[in-house]
Amino acid sequence: MDEPLLSVGRSSRRRDIHAKVTGEAKYAADLMLPNMLHARILRSPHPHARIKRVNINGANSHPGVHATVTPYDVPAGKIAPDLPILDSKVRYVGDEVAAVAAEDIFAADEAVQLIDVEYEILSFSTNTDQSLAKGAEPIHGGSNLINGGPIVEQRGNVDDGFREADLIVEESFTTPGHSPAPLEPRAALTSWDGKVLTVWKSSRGIHADRTNIANALGLQESAVRVIGPHMGGGYGGKDETRTAVIAAVLAIKSGRPVRIELSRKEEFLAGRRRHSTKSSVKMGLKLDGTITAIHAVTVMDTGAYLSSGPGVARRAGQGALYLYRCSNVRYDGYIVYTNRPTAGSYRALGAPQGHFALESVVDKAAEALNMNPLEFRLKNHVGIEGQPGERTTPKNIIVDAQPVEGGIRFSSNGLGQCIRLGSKAVGWDGSSNVERNDSVVKYGVGMSIFLYRGGPGGRSRASINVNSNGEYTLFTGVMDVGEGSATVLSQIAAEILRTGSESISLAMGDTDITPTAGLTAGSSVTFSSGLAVQKAAEDLKGRLLYSASAYCGENVNDLRLDERGVISNSNLIIPFEEFIEHGCLVTGSGVVDPGSEDCIINSFGAHFAKVAVDTQTGTVTILKYVAAHDSGRIINPAMAENQVRGGVAQMLGFTFLEDMETDPGTGITLNPSFLEHKSPTILDCPDVEVIFADVVDPIGPFGAKSLGEPPCIAPAPTIANAIYNAVGIRMTDLPITSRRILSAIDMTK
Amino acid sequence: MYPFNYYSPATITEASSALKKDPGSMVVAGSTDLLSEMKEGVVRPSSLISLTEISSLRDVTWNENGLSIGAMVTLTEIASDPMIRRRCSVLSEASETVATLQIRNIGTLGGNLCQRPRCWYYRSPQFNCLKKGGDQCFALGGIDRYHAILGGSRCFIVHPSDVATGLLSVSASVTIYSEGSMHTLPLSEFFVGPESDVTRENILSQGDLMIAVNIPSFALDRIGVYLKSKERQSMDFALASAAVSIENRDDLIVDAGVAVGGIAPVPLTLAEVEGHLINSRVGNIDLRDTLDQVFSDARPMSTNGYKISLAKNYLRRAITQVFERM
Repeated sequence: MDEPLLSVGRSSRRRDIHAKVTGEAKYAADLMLPNMLHARILRSPHPHARIKRVNINGANSHPGVHATVTPYDVPAGKIAPDLPILDSKVRYVGDEVAAVAAEDIFAADEAVQLIDVEYEILSFSTNTDQSLAKGAEPIHGGSNLINGGPIVEQRGNVDDGFREADLIVEESFTTPGHSPAPLEPRAALTSWDGKVLTVWKSSRGIHADRTNIANALGLQESAVRVIGPHMGGGYGGKDETRTAVIAAVLAIKSGRPVRIELSRKEEFLAGRRRHSTKSSVKMGLKLDGTITAIHAVTVMDTGAYLSSGPGVARRAGQGALYLYRCSNVRYDGYIVYTNRPTAGSYRALGAPQGHFALESVVDKAAEALNMNPLEFRLKNHVGIEGQPGERTTPKNIIVDAQPVEGGIRFSSNGLGQCIRLGSKAVGWDGSSNVERNDSVVKYGVGMSIFLYRGGPGGRSRASINVNSNGEYTLFTGVMDVGEGSATVLSQIAAEILRTGSESISLAMGDTDITPTAGLTAGSSVTFSSGLAVQKAAEDLKGRLLYSASAYCGENVNDLRLDERGVISNSNLIIPFEEFIEHGCLVTGSGVVDPGSEDCIINSFGAHFAKVAVDTQTGTVTILKYVAAHDSGRIINPAMAENQVRGGVAQMLGFTFLEDMETDPGTGITLNPSFLEHKSPTILDCPDVEVIFADVVDPIGPFGAKSLGEPPCIAPAPTIANAIYNAVGIRMTDLPITSRRILSAIDMTK
Repeated sequence: MYPFNYYSPATITEASSALKKDPGSMVVAGSTDLLSEMKEGVVRPSSLISLTEISSLRDVTWNENGLSIGAMVTLTEIASDPMIRRRCSVLSEASETVATLQIRNIGTLGGNLCQRPRCWYYRSPQFNCLKKGGDQCFALGGIDRYHAILGGSRCFIVHPSDVATGLLSVSASVTIYSEGSMHTLPLSEFFVGPESDVTRENILSQGDLMIAVNIPSFALDRIGVYLKSKERQSMDFALASAAVSIENRDDLIVDAGVAVGGIAPVPLTLAEVEGHLINSRVGNIDLRDTLDQVFSDARPMSTNGYKISLAKNYLRRAITQVFERM
């Protein structure tokens, strides 16, 4: 264990870099089969309507059409509890109504136009207030409020906490439902041979997709094979399988392979956006800066379908419940159906929305107390000991990485270190020492901190075998969705097996050859699959050393593994081919239930921004941005830094630019395009200085924790706090456009 | 997409007669705007008449009358022409703020001036708005933050061309081929507001072609600045824009062109501001009253009132920047 690290901690080149740079990499839309048909979906022009009748004859008799599907002839299975394959009700403009498969995409396009649908128009809502109003049309039957009430999580009693307070601060906020806008629109190729359905699709979880597709179609899981080619960006949104299931139904009906690829517009409309929110945070304070109570409320617009709404809503409360030491906390999370495009998982789930509200109020609290916002956070942030209170989770049970109860420590907590390192890098000690004068351009610095439940996913598996030339094949069922898990997992395996990571080839992305695995979600792959890979590699290493010991008669402890084979203390080399020749078992496997019975495993960080606000144009320029993260030991520093820069860039869209705009009068979403849904360009992205705290987690693989989503949490509150520091105006509504800044400045005049 | 005819005639007269022959035909120049409208199903021309083979439309000519730029000259060619940059910087600056480099490489001067509005109700095939022959403007009561604050009547588009705003500040004129002959008119008369015809943005009729844009010699060699407010640094249209060109003799302003874009259905020349500047001394000119006067007619919709401050501030800033360059 004390050997120097060979592979972990090095910036190995990404496994997929050559294929992606040269264009060799194949994505779902690149795949073709002989005799393949092309599918097109008819989408609803109405935000809310009952389908009375579908006349599909025109499409069926159109030249080149081989199969059609309507709500009346789909299998009865569901994709999600509120999502049939096709439904006789449509719930947003863009909802799937029917589909055709034809010889070419033009015939399919024409045929879709020939489908005649009679709708009974229903009243609709484009925001949560309308959905919750008395007499609002139920979108799924029953209340438009999921479960008829909020998710409530609490520790202690906030009423007591507010009574103890000398001072109460509160504020309300709104955040946009921006789209992840992946470069690759979702696509699938489906093929049915009479026994087995094979689906190639853009996927972040092939095994979950297989279960989902089999359930929807009424097939055994063994009759479904899902293959995930390269993914052109998912950011959490691509766990939707309706597109692929529709193509599969058409493939089964026509007996021919069916390909489907969404247009850019369809990707925006039928993909999964972030939940737009209305939220508030109320904080009780003692004059010495002690926090006596925090009460956060979030109302989330989940759009037409629930998707991953509960998980997202729960994450929006995580910061309020756990980021600051406090005995009395409460979070109420409401999830509401509307007739807008569906919201779902989008990188960091609800955490960016929740932390925007929380960290803005924390800044406000510090100001109300006349305290330095940096010192206030250093004084109050949760420490390694966790929250005060009694553990309620029974012993010998893995503790929730997103806890409410107190009395449980963290495995590691580098929050304080992140604050100090970030503050030093940005050159700001939290004092309001920024020049404020009558000039047009005003300067400010702001910060925010966060914690994130990431890492422990579900049960994870891996297996690995060695070939006679010393090359290994690692089998894992998780997807590399572009974030680089293939590279990181190979580094972990290589470290145990004391070989170069290029000697590890990956078998991924095919349900037929890989062990069952969860989604690439919750920033869990490095941690959870990493632990499984570590265990599988250790298992194989143990077998090789044991066999070698039996073979050469030396004690196992006197043997070691390197890229040549097993080496003894006397420098005897037993090459890998010997093991294979002698019929030794050369496969190792690992199954883990990641997590800890004693500790909470979370990632942390602190972001800082120095901004210039032009008070005449409403333009905000980021002069310096520092992102300090505790994600445990960093397995691949270059990739990790890119992960942080990418996350910050993506959330500059959330902060300044992006929203899905649904017209209130018609329910039509107005900007489903890269032009109008204004994702930042490289010219909008400042340089980001990335800092990793020196933390080695005692539980994660080689001390690693999660990093995929955490970079997305802090940008909005960091920048909003910096703007406040510059101009004294608290921006409570995202995105912070020049319109909003100018309007706010005009109001102060 | 759907099938359509495509012609690429070699002369102006052939192009014009092809357009006349098929009333459903449309002119295509760089195609950056038209093809996206066709893909969306907003327009459905039966034929496209391309101007790419007409070499005379690609000329850039300097003579004693001034500068003439063919309608098919690309925005990149304009933005990177050193002589234009030296003698008409407001045009170079306006051209290089358009869209992205890739679009400027194929987008043309004529196409930019004739592009259709970006109003998202117009651009979505699901709205049959006034501009498409319908009977209502959906921006009224809709999401109107990018819409017009001045000159909207029934329809509240803003003219999307950066280049047009820049050109107005240098008294540009446009040469048009119509009914067998060429004629030239001021650029300000080329644009048509919704009060006269809501279905169009310029005076061109079927069969008419824009041939060239001319900048008179008296408006060359001014000091010019084009400033554009945008939400995103690239690939974005103006929330408001300001074009200013000034001729000075020492610290006396002897001539000035001032135009504003992004706030009205047509790009606007601001004669009041020009009048205020001419014969003033370079320096701290207090334009507040004049600008208040200009915008006293502004009728903001529900969420676009910010454009008043924005336009005023950009105009002031553009003038200041011109002074700084003297």
